[in-house]
Amino acid sequence: MIEPTRGVRVSVTLYALSTCPYCRMTRKYLEDSAVQFDLHEIDLLDEDARTAAVAKVRELSGGASFPVIVVDDEVIVGFNKKRIKELLGL
Amino acid sequence: MSESAPVRRRFSTGTTTADLRQYMGPFAERLGYKFNTDAGFVEEVLTSEIEILDSTGDVFCPCRMRTGDSKEDTKIICPCIPFHRDQFAGLKKCWCGLFILKEVDDGLELLGVIEEPEGPIDVPVFRVDDLPDGQIRHVKVGRQDIAVARVGQEFFALSNVCRHAFAPLGEGFMDGYHVMCPWHGWQYDVRDGTTDHPGADVKTYPVSVEDGEVRVRMPHAR
Repeated sequence: MIEPTRGVRVSVTLYALSTCPYCRMTRKYLEDSAVQFDLHEIDLLDEDARTAAVAKVRELSGGASFPVIVVDDEVIVGFNKKRIKELLGL
Repeated sequence: MSESAPVRRRFSTGTTTADLRQYMGPFAERLGYKFNTDAGFVEEVLTSEIEILDSTGDVFCPCRMRTGDSKEDTKIICPCIPFHRDQFAGLKKCWCGLFILKEVDDGLELLGVIEEPEGPIDVPVFRVDDLPDGQIRHVKVGRQDIAVARVGQEFFALSNVCRHAFAPLGEGFMDGYHVMCPWHGWQYDVRDGTTDHPGADVKTYPVSVEDGEVRVRMPHAR
């Protein structure tokens, strides 16, 4: 169980596509909630970095559908606001 | 031959979101879907698709990453509903939310919904009028190959794969409630999947008809 620490001890990473509306919603939601997170916009990376990032997302989520939000060891695929709130104690 | 192949565009240069609406709407409608009722959201998604079209040559889903494998990437060209029927029927929308099931009144309610319901899902496969009486056809539902048969006003769904030599029963010949395998003539009762060959029955799936659409009930596991 992850403590609701709002970014203090929790690591939050957002894997996104710049073209994806739900990725934008997720990003805005995290920003509006004052959550610190690492953002990786996969489609804007150069080819080598993109290949590596896609491989990472596949490893995490089993696919290449976005957004993918990683909260410590928990992986959320899609803009699942309810689950994000639960994990971050928002 | 030139060293680099030209990008094979599906739409002409200068394609607009209105063009995409006009092109995609009727196809999605045949699949049991409509554009999201939130017009602003639809415009946002289609605008993203135009950007992707201009950079890649086709309208790939803005929320899924291309692999470079053309066979795989075909499954994320919008509208990608035929390749993800079971998942989308559970969500009541496509992954990016551009399309929602026809029965959904307010697409806004589905924004952010990514959890599929537990239990079986009724997956729309085609309209009643798309399959004449006495015919059978193959549909792909998720990873499953299904044959849907029509006898009068009744519809039946069974595995598309003959247990003898794995032939496609959707290409078979209907005779009353029986389909004859197109390769070697094995016969299956479309109502219960039974055959006169011992131990070779095929799986069947419940079918319903709602608002003129044929829906196959699939177990949830994907």
